[in-house]
Amino acid sequence: MAMIPARPAPVPTSGAAYWVKKNLFNGPFNTVLTIVAGVIVAWSLFNLANFIFVEASWGQVWKNMKLFAVYRYPAEHLWRPLLVAGTMLGLMGAMAGVGKPRSIIANAYWSLMGFVALVSVVAVIFWPSVRFLWPMALLIGLAGFGVAKAFPQVVRGLSLAWGVWLVAGFLLLAGFGSGGALGRVPIRDWGGFLLTLILFTGIVPSFPIGIALALGRNSKLPAIKYFCIGFIEIVRGAPLIMWLFIASLLLPLILNVDANSLPAIMRAYVAITLFSAAYMAENVRGGLQAVPRGQSEAARALGLSGWQTTQLIVLPQALRAVIPAIVGQAIGLFKDTSLVFIVGLVDFFKVADLVSVQPESLLVTGGVKLEVFLFVAIIYFFFAYRMSIASRQLEKQLGVGER
Amino acid sequence: MTQRTPSSAAAEAAIPFWRNVKTIGILAQLAFVIAIVAAIGVLVNNVVTALAAANLPADFSFLRNPAGIPIAERPIPYVVSDTYARALLIGFLNTLKVALVGVVLATVIGVLFGVMRLSANWLIRTIATVYIELLRNIPLAVQIVFWFAAILLPFPPRISDPVALPGGLLLSNVGLAFPAFYPTFRFGFWVPWLVAALVLAIVTGVWRKRRLDKRDEVGAIWPYWVSSFVLVAAAGLALSYMTRTVPAGLEFNYQASSGRGTTTMVSDGESRPAAFVPVRVGITEGRLTTTSQNLVESRQVVHGTFRFPLINENEAGTIVVDFADPDDAAARGLRLHFTNYPSVGTVYADLNANDEFDEGEEVDPATGRGYGGVSIIMDVTDFARVLVSDRDGQLRLPAFAAPVTEEAEAQESAVPAAGGRFSAFGQAATATTAAATLEATSELLPMGSLVFSRAYVPVSNYEGGMRFTVNYLALLLALVIYTSAFIAEIVRGGILAVPKGQREAAYAVGLSSYQTFTKIIFPQAMRVVLPPMISQYLNLTKNSSLATLAGYAELFVIAQVISNQTGAAIPIALILIGSYLAISLAFSFVLNNVNARLALVER
Repeated sequence: MAMIPARPAPVPTSGAAYWVKKNLFNGPFNTVLTIVAGVIVAWSLFNLANFIFVEASWGQVWKNMKLFAVYRYPAEHLWRPLLVAGTMLGLMGAMAGVGKPRSIIANAYWSLMGFVALVSVVAVIFWPSVRFLWPMALLIGLAGFGVAKAFPQVVRGLSLAWGVWLVAGFLLLAGFGSGGALGRVPIRDWGGFLLTLILFTGIVPSFPIGIALALGRNSKLPAIKYFCIGFIEIVRGAPLIMWLFIASLLLPLILNVDANSLPAIMRAYVAITLFSAAYMAENVRGGLQAVPRGQSEAARALGLSGWQTTQLIVLPQALRAVIPAIVGQAIGLFKDTSLVFIVGLVDFFKVADLVSVQPESLLVTGGVKLEVFLFVAIIYFFFAYRMSIASRQLEKQLGVGER
Repeated sequence: MTQRTPSSAAAEAAIPFWRNVKTIGILAQLAFVIAIVAAIGVLVNNVVTALAAANLPADFSFLRNPAGIPIAERPIPYVVSDTYARALLIGFLNTLKVALVGVVLATVIGVLFGVMRLSANWLIRTIATVYIELLRNIPLAVQIVFWFAAILLPFPPRISDPVALPGGLLLSNVGLAFPAFYPTFRFGFWVPWLVAALVLAIVTGVWRKRRLDKRDEVGAIWPYWVSSFVLVAAAGLALSYMTRTVPAGLEFNYQASSGRGTTTMVSDGESRPAAFVPVRVGITEGRLTTTSQNLVESRQVVHGTFRFPLINENEAGTIVVDFADPDDAAARGLRLHFTNYPSVGTVYADLNANDEFDEGEEVDPATGRGYGGVSIIMDVTDFARVLVSDRDGQLRLPAFAAPVTEEAEAQESAVPAAGGRFSAFGQAATATTAAATLEATSELLPMGSLVFSRAYVPVSNYEGGMRFTVNYLALLLALVIYTSAFIAEIVRGGILAVPKGQREAAYAVGLSSYQTFTKIIFPQAMRVVLPPMISQYLNLTKNSSLATLAGYAELFVIAQVISNQTGAAIPIALILIGSYLAISLAFSFVLNNVNARLALVER
């Protein structure tokens, strides 16, 4: 009787040893690659750590935190930007509270809250002037979440609340009258990260303009179509920094107003919004093209008018398909706000430049440029990377990649 | 019975015109056009009135006025008195210079990281992921300033002490300089040969292709046309070197005391700067003086350092470097230590008497300070250097002084010694030159059609060779690194878009994994990758307008300066928009053609 000989035990296909072999030492070439890359990474990390923890002098960054945050916004009015930030967190919290627990907005909300909580702890310990203000923002943020959990019906008022927040927030930051708690803060004193965030909201008005341009570009009417094509292509053809510069020079001339009555922030805001709208239009157009023709034909067959078809059938599907692209554009805009230095605005990036040439900074051996710009880069990275994670999550949720 | 068919004319007549879609469309467009024209009319009127009120130029006539803007980076000759139009042209060329080089480098690095991101090796994959995510999410403006102000300006060696890299490269905080070939006045001699080479290359290539087609074979075409081109072109070049001449009308002057000279070309009775002319300068006996100094460099103190302009040992018969007052130095126990003979070194005291320089000996243990302020003299005999004049015809050498005779020294002792740091850097012609004159010989060298120019540091900047300023390097580095992160993501997407079956089929027919990648996966990925890549190239070009952060004279930077000078905001804006659109269109045109060639031919 023949017997089948016993086979050797199978090679394990799981466990740490298997993983290391498969991913790091798979063949002689990969082994060499791993060792060389490992040495380079170790050396770089050592140098980076050595710089951050030993060589760097973070004093100037630490001392100028207020400049980084709000630039010349008066210290006694700091509760206003923080109240606006707090209510924003509250509204986000409300959105997170009524949605699913691990939805994209909830994730974004909790990571922002984590950031604010961290800063609050630092504020309570080190910054007496905002000792209670940061925790206040944190609490308002939490309150929004709690209210929405308790009363899910608030969801109906949310879009209205966002609109109110946008207008009221701006008015609160600007202030009224000449004195008192709500006194006017001249718009040229706004700066730092506050200004970066304000300019970032340019994405909101660019949304409707972009949709209008995209629809116009798809229009059958040649006059409207070619106007939209011309606008989109010319704006996209030149860099944002040039539009900012041109806007700062020409807007007062074009609108026939005194140059001083039109603050630089507004000029930059107009340029950023229109620039962003042109890119938005191209994104939305991509979405419009992705909607099958049968959809609009079916809608027309059902008797919907042209506007109704666009509004109720085509646009919702088109916008859904391009949400990741729009988030990508938002990341781009967030980074591009750093270009407003060209019109003399002092945003987060420009503050870094100013701090690095302060007399105290020049006294530090070797200067503090590396430290200051490293700090700025880390903050930008935190926000941009957080958004790109959200974009990837969205992509997965919408299944854009798989269809 | 009459048949009633609904005629379309009748149907249209039944609809009142105000409900006819066509009519509404035309009316809507008409209204739109009128509204737009009216709005633009009002706005233009506003602008024109405002410009007239402020007395600012609204047309392009100002472009012919002299610009008066100094521009350091100039790919074509430019002097400060040139027109605004030429200054803008320089800016445009500078934009192209950074964009074209940037596009190539960003593609190479981007493809590398895109492939790395898909590596089977976890470490490589992770490095690529971190690289991409980190650089994509930090604003380009921050990255440019980071490279320029935080890395490239403070860290590399100073221009007075450049690092010589292999291949004649010099690196310092002014930038990177490297040897280069330049076309001379006799370049015309070579041109017919180049044309002939081109024609022959085309003929050979076509011939080879026809032959292959005729025999129905597969084979390479490029060795044929490349070798025929190289052969003819090389023959022409060699001939131009064998029959070197100095063109008539070429002149130059050289002042030994200042170390400066200019080459000029005289034609029509007018003399203009002559570029890239080789000149040999010889100095029988000369002397350079410098003072050792204590320098505080980035994060460290350099003690008792002295630096002469770059002089190579093979350029002189003898070089002797010693203290100006050897007796005093000997009395104080001071000695010289060279880090780069004979140009760079340190003054030290041989504390442990081992005749060698040891760590710590460059500092006076009592005071903790170095041996600064000691005068050091370099005596050079039979110095000879071949210089190639730069784009503006300028020649520069270290400013030698004549060696001092004892008699003259005695006279001079009444005169206070020429002080100052860097006395060799332009101030050597002091009281001593009055006592003795510097003897120098100089001659124009006969030239071939190309001249080889080596980079050197005569005074306090590079001369000769080709130079990338630190501004250019910083901008290029930031643009390349930033864009490569985006390109890497595109490449990764493209590779993932190639169906799995392709790889499996390639393995099945016996291709190695390297062959599979280069011959099967990558060409197909390129097809998907090209359109988004085009838009990244355009982004890089547009992003080069951030050059102002690195101090690079790019189109937008120059336009901004001109606009501030003249107030001609509108014409400048139009020129800028036109230039950027032209670049965009050119890019799209070229790359769309490539795209059309790569696209799958479908039935």
